[in-house]
Amino acid sequence: MMQGSTLSMRDTLAQVLVELGEKDKDLVVMTADVGDSTRASKFKEKFNDRYFNVGISEQDLVNFAAGLSAVGKKPVVVNFAMFLMRAWEQIRNSISRMNLDVKLIVTHSGYSDSGDGSSHQALEDIALMRTLPNFSVVIPADSADIKRGLPKIISHKGPVYYRVGREYSPQITDKMDYEFEIGKSYVLKEGSDLTIIGAGVLLWDAMKAAEELERKGISAAVINLSSVKPIDEQTIEYYARKTGRIVTIEEHSVYGGVGSAVAEVVVRKYPVPMRFVGATTFGRSARSQRDLIDYYKVNYETVIKESLELMK
Amino acid sequence: MGIKGERDGIPISIDEINKLRKVASKARNNVIKMQFYDHSIHVGSSLSSIEILTALIFRYLRDSESKYDKDWLILSKGHAAPGLYAVLAEKGLIPEEELWKIQDISGLLQGHPEIFIPGIDMSTGSLGQGLSFGIGVATGIRMQGGKGKVYVIMGDGEQDEGEIWEAMTHAVTRKLDNLISFIEINNYQLDGSVDDIKPKHFLPDVWKAVGWRTLFCDGHDFASLIDTIEEAHKIREPVVIFAKTLRGKGFPVIENTKVQRASPDDARKYLINA
Repeated sequence: MMQGSTLSMRDTLAQVLVELGEKDKDLVVMTADVGDSTRASKFKEKFNDRYFNVGISEQDLVNFAAGLSAVGKKPVVVNFAMFLMRAWEQIRNSISRMNLDVKLIVTHSGYSDSGDGSSHQALEDIALMRTLPNFSVVIPADSADIKRGLPKIISHKGPVYYRVGREYSPQITDKMDYEFEIGKSYVLKEGSDLTIIGAGVLLWDAMKAAEELERKGISAAVINLSSVKPIDEQTIEYYARKTGRIVTIEEHSVYGGVGSAVAEVVVRKYPVPMRFVGATTFGRSARSQRDLIDYYKVNYETVIKESLELMK
Repeated sequence: MGIKGERDGIPISIDEINKLRKVASKARNNVIKMQFYDHSIHVGSSLSSIEILTALIFRYLRDSESKYDKDWLILSKGHAAPGLYAVLAEKGLIPEEELWKIQDISGLLQGHPEIFIPGIDMSTGSLGQGLSFGIGVATGIRMQGGKGKVYVIMGDGEQDEGEIWEAMTHAVTRKLDNLISFIEINNYQLDGSVDDIKPKHFLPDVWKAVGWRTLFCDGHDFASLIDTIEEAHKIREPVVIFAKTLRGKGFPVIENTKVQRASPDDARKYLINA
């Protein structure tokens, strides 16, 4: 199934980067031979001397960015999520350890590179990145979220991992009026019986599940946990207390991702029963991201099923 | 591999060479002395690097308040940190008493370089990462029109790392003439001889084929080192200097072996005779 209007997140990403590049002459963009796929090459069209394609060399890409940052430039690395993880150790030992002001913007996360199959589908990156000291981990919900959030990510001092998909991007926050802030989550829908917490494109499923549950007489709050790290402990605790039950949904492994991050807060602040909806296996090829989301049941139907069980 | 011999017209006086030798000798003794305080430091690799570090720190590195005008020193073979600390102490950037607290929980000096230590430009320790970082720094300097040069020191064992291939081809693409790399050829890596584990005799041909200017020197001889660095400065493309060195140079019980450290007793005997 497919929802109404969607706006490509990678296209929005490129557009915002170009706008920011106009204002900040120190901003440099680099990629490892996926400039067109990620849309990073849009930056090249405008600022050829501030755009670098290092070739298919992710480790070099990361330390090159680290060096540019050390000398005072503001590097933005744009690459596929999966292949940037190939350089996780470089990210750890250079960017994180020296706390360098490098922004890692990844596209093709989760199931979004549907056709290419399991080798290209990053379902582990949130877990890997949120363990790194100094790093923030942010997942925009849709194009509108990128427009409001990316300028703040770029102006933030310190390393950020910013996780974006590919084409599929149902609009969730486009009608909302809120200021993006690292470390803050956003309530998409109020509710009193349980709380659904998600991030990225699966917020559409979270909202859809909440609407279906409403018809069954269950009032579900929905929270956009765009900032996985630092995490909004206050809001999570408030809704744990208010609703007494939490279901998380993420386009990522259930091990170490959004659900785990929420659970780490919940067990310390106010333990309540939780359920985790996410990936438990590698993906496979499919004609669309949505096919994979439904095939692996990382979708609203599973959220409804888990919610109903929690309500028993 | 051919090693270039000394030539006439070396741009350094005998007096200055003697001063550098004195610094290197003191740093060498201090590295060996640091073993008394922590037996686990990498003595062999440090002694291999002493003259290169001394030449760069005492003769070439220019400081500046501007990151674009200062020169950068990246010890990609970070396990030679004790050697770097010993030379930085001679330069006055690190208090000598800190040397004896190396790797101690209360001390400043870490087992591998960290940028919070004075004189350290990149936190290293994981091999193969320094050259890419150096390319980033050198590129940033070029973009800004700065005067800074970037020196990266690598080991021959380190050349096993795939990132070095990524970086060596990248540097050439960028035509960086403010980047000078050293590869120490001491023919040892952690488990044994480089020749046995992954031979490197073809390396100069590879670097040259990719587009680097390759120079050769004796990495323990100041005249040879300085002559070669001067030549490197005149070349308008990325330069790699293959520096023939000996692991454990000057410390006979481990010299030219894969052994990184000797017993405290051997160290004591050496220092008494030094």
